[in-house]
Parts: sequence; C-alpha cells; structure tokens
Amino acid sequence: MRFLLRHLASVLPVVFGVLLLTFLLLHMVPGDPVEVMLGESATAADRDRLRAELGLNQPLPIQFADYLGRLAQGDFGHSIHTHVPIAELLAQRIPATIRLTLLALVVALMMGVPLGIIAALHHNRWPDRGARLFALTLSAMPHFWLGPLLMLVFALWLPWLPVSGMETGASIVLPALTLACGLAALLTRMTRASLLDVLGEDFVRTARAKGLPERTVVLRHALRAALLPVVTVVGLQLGSLLAGAVITETVFGWDGVGRLLVESIEKRDYPVTQACVLVIALAYVAVNRLTDFAYARLDPRVRFV
Amino acid sequence: MVLQAFGGVGVDRTPARLLRWGWRLGCALCLLANIHMGWAQEIRFAIAQAPLTLDPRYAVDAASERINRLLYRSLVDFDAQGRPVPALATWQVHDPWHVSFTLGREGRRFHDGSWLTAQDVVATYRSLLALEDAPHAAEFANIAAMDAPNADTVVFTLKDPDADFPARLVMGILPAHLIARHHDFSRQPVGSGPLRLVEWNRTLRLERVADRQAIVLEEVRDPTVRVLKLLRGETDLLQGDLPPELVRYLKRQPGIRVEETAGTNFSYLGFNLQDPLLKNPRVRRAVALAIDRDAIIRQVLIGGSRPATAILPPEHWAGNPALQPLPYDPAQARRLLQESGLALPLKLTLKTSTDMQRLRLATILQAQMKKAGIDLRIRSLDWGTFFDDVRHGKFQLYSLTWVGVRTPDIYRRAFHSASVPPTGANRGRLRDVELDALLKRRDWPAATARIHALLPYVPLWYEGQFLALGRGLQMRAPAPDGNWDGLATITRGVSQ
Repeated sequence: MRFLLRHLASVLPVVFGVLLLTFLLLHMVPGDPVEVMLGESATAADRDRLRAELGLNQPLPIQFADYLGRLAQGDFGHSIHTHVPIAELLAQRIPATIRLTLLALVVALMMGVPLGIIAALHHNRWPDRGARLFALTLSAMPHFWLGPLLMLVFALWLPWLPVSGMETGASIVLPALTLACGLAALLTRMTRASLLDVLGEDFVRTARAKGLPERTVVLRHALRAALLPVVTVVGLQLGSLLAGAVITETVFGWDGVGRLLVESIEKRDYPVTQACVLVIALAYVAVNRLTDFAYARLDPRVRFV
Repeated sequence: MVLQAFGGVGVDRTPARLLRWGWRLGCALCLLANIHMGWAQEIRFAIAQAPLTLDPRYAVDAASERINRLLYRSLVDFDAQGRPVPALATWQVHDPWHVSFTLGREGRRFHDGSWLTAQDVVATYRSLLALEDAPHAAEFANIAAMDAPNADTVVFTLKDPDADFPARLVMGILPAHLIARHHDFSRQPVGSGPLRLVEWNRTLRLERVADRQAIVLEEVRDPTVRVLKLLRGETDLLQGDLPPELVRYLKRQPGIRVEETAGTNFSYLGFNLQDPLLKNPRVRRAVALAIDRDAIIRQVLIGGSRPATAILPPEHWAGNPALQPLPYDPAQARRLLQESGLALPLKLTLKTSTDMQRLRLATILQAQMKKAGIDLRIRSLDWGTFFDDVRHGKFQLYSLTWVGVRTPDIYRRAFHSASVPPTGANRGRLRDVELDALLKRRDWPAATARIHALLPYVPLWYEGQFLALGRGLQMRAPAPDGNWDGLATITRGVSQ
C-alpha cells in the first residue's frame, strides 16, 4: 500500500507541471475565446461583461488557483462554448479513445512481434529483408496520409469497410489499423534486433546443447528475454498512440479525446483543452508506471523499493 | 507464407492460429459494415464544420447560421438582389421611429405544436437584448420599445431613425413560453422552420416537417474523406468547402452530379493602412496591379467564381456595376513602386490561415507579385492566432472572405473610422472623413467608388458555389451565399 502511495505521490509533480504548462501556453498564444464567441459585432462593453462572467479578466495566478481548486474537488468546469459540463464530455469521449488505442495496440502486437520473430529467425534472408522493408515503409507513412490511403483501398476499391464515422462496429477497423501501423513497424524492428542479440547469448547455446527443441529454445528462453525492451517500447508507445489518435480521430471522424482536443484548441475553449491535455498526460504517466511494473514481472533482476 | 516461415524452424503454431482468427474477425466486421450500407432512406449531408449552437441568438459561425435558417423562421428574408422581403410578416413604416409588422398565416406552427404569435416575436427580441453574452445584441440596441397590440401585430419603436431596420429582423423567432423557462435552445431548438431537430449526438438528425424525410448532417473535417464518403455512398450530398481539384474529380465520377452557380461571398486581400509602406496609396495600387485575378479564377477556382470590385456584388441593390476590376499590369506596378522611391524587391508579409486552398492561393499571389518586384512572404497561422492578429492590426497583408453579407451596413462595419476593432471590422484601420460622410448619408454608389479609389482591400473574387449530389437525389441549384435552404426541398428522385 505504501509502495502504491509513494508512486502516486511521485505522479503529482508531473500532473502539476502539465497543468501549469498547459495553462500558461494556452493563455500565451494569441486568440481570445470571447472574440470567438461574440464575433465582431459586439460592443467593447459586451466583451468586458462576458470576460468578467468567464473569469478571464482575473490575473493569471488567480485564474490558475481557481482552476486548481475546482479540479481538486473533481470539478473540470464547463465548456465555454457549449456550456456542457466537461466531465460529461470526457465521459463520452474517453471510452472511444481507449477502445481505438487498445485495438490499435493489439493489431500492432499481432503484426509487429510475429514479423520481428520471422525476420530474426531468417536473418539476412528474404523473409528478413521483406519484414524490414515492410517496417521501413510503414514507419515512413504519416497518419494523415496513411488514413485516406487505407480508406481508398478498403472502403472504395474494395468496399469492405466504412470510410469514416462510428456507426458500425467495423468503423473502428481502419482508424485502428492506421494508428497501429507505425507501432507495428517499430515493434518489428525492435523484436528482430532484440531476438538476434539474445539468440547469440550463452544461455541460448546452452539450451540448444541440452537438446531442447528449437521452438522451446526460441519461445520459452530467447523470446522471453528478447521481449523486455519490446515491453518498454510498447509502454512508451501506448502514450504516443493516445497522442497520435489526435490526428487519426480527426481524419476518421472518431469522437474521442483527440478530436475534442483539436476542436477545443480551435475555439480557444480553455477549460476543455486543459482537461483533454490532463487526461492524455495522466494516461501517459499511468502507462509508464504500468510498464515499470510489467518490467519487474518479466525480469526478476528488476525490483522496486 | 508466415506459417511456412514459422514451420521452417518447427516453432509453435499459436501465432498462425491467431492470424486465422484475426482474418475471420476481419471478415465478420466487413460483413457488418456492408449490412449498414443498406440501411436507411435518410439523406446524409457531410459538412466541414458542425454548428456550434442551434440558438439563433448566439450563432456567429456559418454552419450555425445556415442550419438555424431551417430550424426557425424569421420576420424578414432577402430576395436575390438583397432587398428585404416578407417571411413571417409584412411591415409598414409609419414614421422614421415606428415600424409595425403583421404576421401572415404561413409557418406559424412551432415544432412543439404551439402557435407563433406577436408575443413570441417580442419575447425573442427582448431576450436577445437582455442577454449579456449574445453576439447580435448590439445590432438591436436601437430598439427603444416593442409592443404586441394583438396576436398578429408587433410595433417597434426606434431610438434613432433607421431606414434599413426591417432588414435587420432576420433572426429566428423562439416560443415565448420556452424563453420564460430558460429552455436550452442551443441543443434542443424549437422553431417553426421547415426542419425540426430529432437528435444531436454524433450527428445532427433532422426531420422535414412537411413529409418527415430524415436528413442527417455529419461533420467530416477532411475534404478528401468527404469526397470518399460521397463516392462510397456513405453520404448523399456535399456543398462547398472543397478544393477545386476535388470538385473537378467529382465531375468525372459516374453517378455524381455536380452543380455550380455564381457566388456572392467576397474574397479580398486586406492592407494595414497604419503600416509605413502600405499607407502609401501607390504601394497599395502596385500590389493590386500585380495580381492576375482572371488567371487564378480560370485555373484555380471552381466554376461560378468571378472577379470582384466591392463587397456587395453588382446585382445587389446597393452594388455598384460601374466599378471596373483592376487590371493585371505588373510593369505598371513596378513603375509605381519605383516612383515611390522604394528599393526593389519590396518585402511584404501576407498572413493567412492554415486552410490548404488559402495557402495555395497565397503561393500563387507570391509568384505573381515577384514579377512586379514584390517579395511576398507568407505566414500561415492557425485560425485563432490568425484572426487575433488581424483584429489587433498585427499584419501587413491578410486574406479573408466575407460570407453571407446581405446589407450595405457592411461598408460601415468594415470601413468607417468608428469601426476600428474592437468596435467593428475596420481591420485595416482606414480613416477617411469623406468616406465617413458618404456612409452616414447612405450614398452607396459614391461610398463604394470612394472605397475602390482608396483601396483598403484588393477585391479579388466572388467565390462560386457548388453542390455534389449522389445517385438519384434532386435538389435546386446552390444558393449564391452557400446557404443550405435546399435541404427544405431535397428529394430522392429517379436515378439518372
């Protein structure tokens, strides 16, 4: 219990830093939510009144302190534009992003790890070259380009999947695939490199010398050791997947946190932007902690004190 | 191949099993996706930007204004020449301070079943004036009093005479009993327009009152994705907000009908008249002469685009057909700059948004101006930053479009000395006593001629409008201002 509390306490400075940085950056960039809301017809008095109503006329430290106070009570506030409680908006959007991200992760693992194994076991032969070319191609494709390309192939030429939206269960396939491709490429290369290293280790030679079948040597001995760096990459990249979802969600019209973030930035809806960034930052931190724990499970030499 | 690769070293076949299951799952999902395609007879309209609010008192964005025109009815509308015409009501000007409106019989049933009366009109405008955060309140500050002597008549008393007062009453009317209950019109609109809201969740589900035809508006931000959805049949209709090459591509697709019409939305290049270089009228004229509008319209814009001379087009009742577009003459532009004693190339910066079409036009302007000795640098900013810079005068040149302008009041808002932001839209900070006097006299031909001579803007073009319809849809040609009124009559006709 004390161990968990200690880890939670170490998260607090990160969260505070993220909140402060987001708050300052948002207020430093040009653009005024009052201008966006009232347009150009409103009088200066109208603008001042609305600014006061939204608390935007207060000095920044007071605005930030107010925000922290409300957040401590679990109150994210309301959207400046739609007046909808932000907790409600997040409750609608977070499950969609989690669904997309987790499916993308599963797809990436299913593509990347087997390909990496194949490449390592056929080192410098055509399956290896093919896997490397595949990984290189995927990692060179940005999401905003790959997304429409997949739509063209799988929704238009082969009309198997919907172009975008969230109407059916199949709607998640293309955005998840788009999001997964970059990670799959990375996992292929990581698994290959790591497995090649491990296959040259003494303990693998010993296992072979003992007469163990090759599949046991590879899957039980070599792969377990080779997956340690892969787990680290997966942990770090899961956070990136959440951030990458910003673009993918926008391209595919997927109503997740990423799309909400983009919309709120455009409208200068400060409270919504802050809440979205906070959610993404918390997800990053949580995933990193989970990665640490997973590391400890996989490698007995790693211990948390 | 993968199986063989694993099999080659005698490894466990679990990954192969996973792959097989993955393939089956994929096939099942594909089937599900295609089951969906057969669904509905609803008409789906993919839009670039969802409306921000369905409360007409708060609407400032184009999407909100366009959908609110269909959800609510207003007292007044405009004809093709921009003249106010009766919608819910006819009017009579008794004297410069008193205007009465008499409600007709058409369109007076609210979507909740109640009858629209003069009390609703009064309550709508009173609530607008009472709201502290309503963007349109300032436009009605001239109203001194409103009375409803009977259920069909509203009398407005003005503080100052205003000949254009009827043309201002284009806001949708809300039911008084819901206003009194502080009903949330922004998400649950109740109007008396031809469409009513069924649901606003991910998409905006509407129903046409006349025949219960379902119409679904879906926000799809990426233009390429909108086109793919139309080709795939996931959406039935696109209107505006596509780059010209995609419109040309759609024209070549079987089963897609593209209709283009002349537009009235005015694109321009704005000058900062407080800038040391651009306060010189010769420099402004040189910039204007360096632009080959005709080539841009021919090569880069969609059909129906035409050169512009003033914010309101020549066919508008306050338009000025006598104004001639500025010619393209880079040699003369260069001479003007040299006569002004400026070293060439003259360095100027153009600010624009991140919109791809605007960026493309900016690069074309950059190339054209080079011939006149102008080195145009482009700064592309996100919308919030860009517009904030424009409002605060932090620019030399900027490019924007006036959308949906209907009354000549725009000239006062955009060019009068008293309209410098934050109190108006005189973003270039033009101050001209003669023009102010002409605007006060409402002498539109003289005022537009004066603006043309002063050149606070380089008038570029009126952007054409288009709509792309999927198989079997029938809809009237797009409106010059790009409104969505066609949804009130769109039908699924016989396939062509």
